[in-house]
Amino acid sequence: MLDLLAVLLTLGGLVFFAGATMGILRFPDFYTRLHAAGKLDTLGALLTMAGLAVYNLHPFSITTLLTSLKIGFAVGFIFIASPTATHAIVDAGVRAGLRPWVKQEDEQK
Amino acid sequence: MLCCWGMLVHATLDFPGWGDPNAPAHLHVAPEYLEQAYEETATPNVVTAVLADYRGYDTMFETAVIFSAGLACFFLLRVQPRKEEEEDRFFRHLATDMVIRIRTPSMHVPDSPYLQQLDPYWTPRSLIVRAACRVLTPFIQLFALYVVAHGHHSPGGGFQGGVILGASFILIALSHDLRTSMKMTPEKLMGVLSPAGVLIYAGVGALCVVAGHNFLDYGALAEWLGTAPEAARSLGILFVEVGVAVCVMATMIIIYANLSSAGGYKQGL
Repeated sequence: MLDLLAVLLTLGGLVFFAGATMGILRFPDFYTRLHAAGKLDTLGALLTMAGLAVYNLHPFSITTLLTSLKIGFAVGFIFIASPTATHAIVDAGVRAGLRPWVKQEDEQK
Repeated sequence: MLCCWGMLVHATLDFPGWGDPNAPAHLHVAPEYLEQAYEETATPNVVTAVLADYRGYDTMFETAVIFSAGLACFFLLRVQPRKEEEEDRFFRHLATDMVIRIRTPSMHVPDSPYLQQLDPYWTPRSLIVRAACRVLTPFIQLFALYVVAHGHHSPGGGFQGGVILGASFILIALSHDLRTSMKMTPEKLMGVLSPAGVLIYAGVGALCVVAGHNFLDYGALAEWLGTAPEAARSLGILFVEVGVAVCVMATMIIIYANLSSAGGYKQGL
């Protein structure tokens, strides 16, 4: 039962990671790429590591529980740090004067 | 150049294969370290045992090298602003948000909770970055102490822990400003701590000499600590790791502060 949950969580995380990779490769400019990288990577890491934490509980004992708790802490810190880093990079981009991408027709109007 | 390249490639042919257990590097002293490190030093992590005990001299002079790097940075970059040429200083009155400009160079403005000195070239970071860094910094520092103290049992030790500890203060300097960070880690204190780390290391070694053993032979501390010689070695490694961590942290902060502000200790980056 726990194993199933772990597999589901990890697979869900991988879906988001795949989406993030696609986004970084295919999106047209700096801001949209960061949008893909920042959001989907955070959720992907969250789900994957939650899956690892659940999988680690398999022979349930205090030791494995502690390890899972540590993974939980790591997830929490990623959840705080990753969006902040994305925000800081976008902020720097705006200050450096980078303009967001617009569709070709809109630009010609 | 091609000839040189050919010679180098030819020389690699004589190397032992990847992961070859019979490679010369794995036959000389490595098996002894692996077999006896735990019995001799009561330290589960062989890397730490080799680094801080069997090759204590190496690590001591590595620490000295880091200290001299900080020293070189300080001497090359640090500049004291000359009193007559001092430029305008800006202060913000926190209650009214008014900015005061002070031109008289001799005028001394005392530190006050109502005034905040501003750097004209410094663009403030956003509130989100500041808040997140403030939340994360204590955890980073706690983790740094854990890495230092846990160097015997898991990967880590003085160098790594010191770097994390120094980086936490650099994070504050990046997210707030250099002045805030230098209030927490005053320049003079860092200047004292950096050599103090090396002195802690060398002092532990000298204590062993006083106790009648060789330099850095931590087994000598057993009598004073009231433990078995093996446990004393383990504790001795911990002491020198603390010295390394102190030195590395202070040096990181000195190097960052000098490089980022071109030696003026004002916000320049």
